[in-house]
Amino acid sequence: MARIELHNLRKTYGSVVAVKDINLTIEDGEFVVLVGPSGCGKTTTLRMIAGFEDPTAGEIRIDGRVVNDLEPRDRGLGMVFQSHALFPHKTVAQNIEFGLRMKKVPAPERQARVRAVAEMVRITHLLDKMPGQCSGGESQRVALARTLVTNPSTFLLDEPLSSLDAKLRRELRAECDRLHEELKRTFIYVTHDQEEAMTLADRIVVMRQGEIEQIGSPLDIYSRPASYFVADFFGSPSMNLVAGEVVHEDGGVRFRSKKLSVDLTARYAHVPPGKATLGIRPEHVGVGFDGTGANVLPARLIEPLGKDTLIYFDDGTERAFVAVTEGLGKAALKVGTPVSLAFDPRHIYLFGSDGRRIDPK
Amino acid sequence: MTKSRRRRISTVVRYAVLSVWAVIAFFPIYWMIATSFKIDTQWFAWPPVYIPNPPTLANYRNVWLGAEEYTSTQYAISSQTPLVSLKNSVIISFTATFLAVFFGAIIAYGASRYRLLSEARMFQLLMLRMIPPIVVVAPLSLYYSAIGLLDTLFGLILIYFITSLPYAVWMTKSFIDEVPREVEQAAEILGASRWRTVFEVVLPLIRSGLVATFLFILILTWSEYLLALILSKTNVTTLPIELSKYQGTTEGRVYGRQAALAVGITVPLMIIGLVIRKHLARGFSFGMVRR
Amino acid sequence: MAARPPLDTAPKVSLREVSRARAIRRFRLTILVPLIALFVLVLMPVLFLQLYFSFHQWSIYLGSWWDADYVGLNLFTEVLTDPRFGWAILRSLAFATGSTIGCFVIGFALAYLMHKPFRGQALYYVVFILPMLTVPIVVAYTAEMLLYQSGPVNDLISRILGVEFKPAWLTDPNVALPAVTLLEIWNWTPFSFIIMLAGLSAIPKEPIEAAEILGASKWRIFWEVQLPLLRPVIFLALVLRFLEAMAEFPKTWALFQGGPGTATETLPVYIFLTTWQYFEVSKGAAMSYIVMMLMIVIVLLAIQLLRREKRSLDAMYGKAAREAGGEP
Repeated sequence: MARIELHNLRKTYGSVVAVKDINLTIEDGEFVVLVGPSGCGKTTTLRMIAGFEDPTAGEIRIDGRVVNDLEPRDRGLGMVFQSHALFPHKTVAQNIEFGLRMKKVPAPERQARVRAVAEMVRITHLLDKMPGQCSGGESQRVALARTLVTNPSTFLLDEPLSSLDAKLRRELRAECDRLHEELKRTFIYVTHDQEEAMTLADRIVVMRQGEIEQIGSPLDIYSRPASYFVADFFGSPSMNLVAGEVVHEDGGVRFRSKKLSVDLTARYAHVPPGKATLGIRPEHVGVGFDGTGANVLPARLIEPLGKDTLIYFDDGTERAFVAVTEGLGKAALKVGTPVSLAFDPRHIYLFGSDGRRIDPK
Repeated sequence: MTKSRRRRISTVVRYAVLSVWAVIAFFPIYWMIATSFKIDTQWFAWPPVYIPNPPTLANYRNVWLGAEEYTSTQYAISSQTPLVSLKNSVIISFTATFLAVFFGAIIAYGASRYRLLSEARMFQLLMLRMIPPIVVVAPLSLYYSAIGLLDTLFGLILIYFITSLPYAVWMTKSFIDEVPREVEQAAEILGASRWRTVFEVVLPLIRSGLVATFLFILILTWSEYLLALILSKTNVTTLPIELSKYQGTTEGRVYGRQAALAVGITVPLMIIGLVIRKHLARGFSFGMVRR
Repeated sequence: MAARPPLDTAPKVSLREVSRARAIRRFRLTILVPLIALFVLVLMPVLFLQLYFSFHQWSIYLGSWWDADYVGLNLFTEVLTDPRFGWAILRSLAFATGSTIGCFVIGFALAYLMHKPFRGQALYYVVFILPMLTVPIVVAYTAEMLLYQSGPVNDLISRILGVEFKPAWLTDPNVALPAVTLLEIWNWTPFSFIIMLAGLSAIPKEPIEAAEILGASKWRIFWEVQLPLLRPVIFLALVLRFLEAMAEFPKTWALFQGGPGTATETLPVYIFLTTWQYFEVSKGAAMSYIVMMLMIVIVLLAIQLLRREKRSLDAMYGKAAREAGGEP
């Protein structure tokens, strides 16, 4: 059982505000991912929950009890660090056993539990090795085991996979997911990788400059980003975001940028004229080759990825405009071929000049 | 006990302990400085005088400029004025240190990049420093006297150079080891010769390290006592030897004068030490411990 | 050149290796060989002379040293049966052990209290390293100004304790060696302090935090995590300090000249007295020879251990450097 509440939590270093009065409730058994670019305050938040940093203001409650004043060891939490943080002078078994010894668990029981947890994360063969002899992925498994064995109510994971290569990362991501399923404990996971956040989380907390930008399920975050920042951060390739303005003409509403012109009448008729940013995910951009329509741009770069093919365009802004077509069918496309782009009104996002998303009607 | 309370207590304890040691560490230095400003009746008055009153510069003028200001029962200074010793000290320690760092850096480069010296050889070099000098100083002085190096600047420079070299090699090597090889390889790819790479890329990169090494060895050579005591007679007295002359004066203890000289010897050293304070651990541990 | 091998069996690497070997040889000839020659020119005659004097009875009063009488092992027998020499060894060992432990305990404690940042840390650091930046001979004379019987140290301690405290630091034979040991501790605690501080700062904080969250108290963390990780640094601090203390001369000599009585007659002091006060150069040489052999054994032992520990040190600092470089 562990329900974690943060009330107006604030952390400043001198004049720098690392975490700005955040409020967040994490339910028991939930898998919450704190995500954001480096310096957004996510790690500081996690470290305050763990007890390594003292909040400048605000409260942290675990199961309703204020824990600000408790040492890390008295909070009943487990933590996995980015750098494994294994004790280099102890064997893997001794590493895992450490927490049990601190809790004065008798020796025979310790052995049994170490063995059980080693089997759980499949590192039985490593037990007598030193951490220095383990690979990165193995080390992280050991670190996981060391945390698991103490049976904490909550797992705090600080970018646990970011020092691993892509393949291992996927493998261990699945492992994390499995453990969460099996243990039904609260997981708080910090990462800067949006893909990790999307695949693991029950709920994602997007942070930016010490503040929570949006909280929601992965689907929510992906399909209803609260702001330009969130829209830009999630999705790969990321959302096309085109700066321009909304104009009212001929009884309709249109979005115009340097090279694009999109009809918004269907869902955004209520938007007043003025500067705005149009967003559309690459997979929602329709691609045609008949050279007709309001938006015809020459293809600038073709990037066959195997499953999909990306086509890049120059839309007159600094960022390339990207469209995705399925399969390799368009891979042979010549650079310079004019392509008609279609914007499905159901998938168009509009962001105001303050960066917030404007709701459609 | 709550966390914040426990933390407050540990903070108080920490400051208390540190402050006590700070007083112990600083008091003798303070006393030396204070004594150097005392008039002669306060040098060992009872009860001890903790703050010079009135402060005087007479000790400094007498010691460093040879001014004869007798406040009561005073004595005149020995044959040689400290300024000559100062000059000797500067010449000897700077020259020996420069030579040690120069050759040390080159050897260290060879050792670091081309394995010129095996690890075992590197450690053997340390023996030059670890055997107490007292065990060789007598035959050394006889040998020096036989080849005419006794009581010469060159004689002291030579022996200081030899005893400083282990520090120079080890310390500069620890800096060179930290320069990524890629930087050198980049320079080589761009067409620089090996020596050019050393002088235009590697050494400038460890410039601050070389300065630190230089100053560190300067501290050692500047304060060396035993070798200077035996290998110099009258011509090349260094400052530490000059200071010890005051001990033998028949006029009794002349603390104020002695302190004025001691301050002059020590203060430059302390300034140097504070400048390279971040590198002192590396220096004293032959580069094995870094910060 | 008919015997030239075909090109494909003579890979370019070997050519480069040859040129490299040639460069290294050139380097050896220009830098290393002259230096070694210099050392040999200075050190070999010295060692030879020392050996010569150890076997020939010569004193400054006896005319030319090259005419001295060969006395075989007499001098060594004399030294080894000289109780003063035995006492000097014991004193040196006591002095070196005591001061090494003192320096280490105080230095480590200070470093432990200071390894995390706090307000005023830089100032304390500066004050703490000052004693080691004081010329040893200056330390001796300053100590004399401080320690005479009605001097400021006794005065201050009396005031703090509220009772008369008047040990005769400089004239009481029972107090002299402890006094000079304390002085050595004062002088060189900064050495242990900076080494241990560097060691403590090099321990990555994650394993400590991991231990903390696993339920370990500060005390357990110290014994189970920090101390084992510090082993090489501790070893270095102890060994280097001990060797330096064995060689300590300026303070002991300037303050006491071996006295009162023979209370502070450590090995360096006794050798110095024998050679330069009693002018028994040959006895001094024999003594030096024995001490040198003793020290070489100790140093070789120390070097053997240092070599082993240096690997862990390099791993420790190499890793720390990589991590520092990799931080965004």
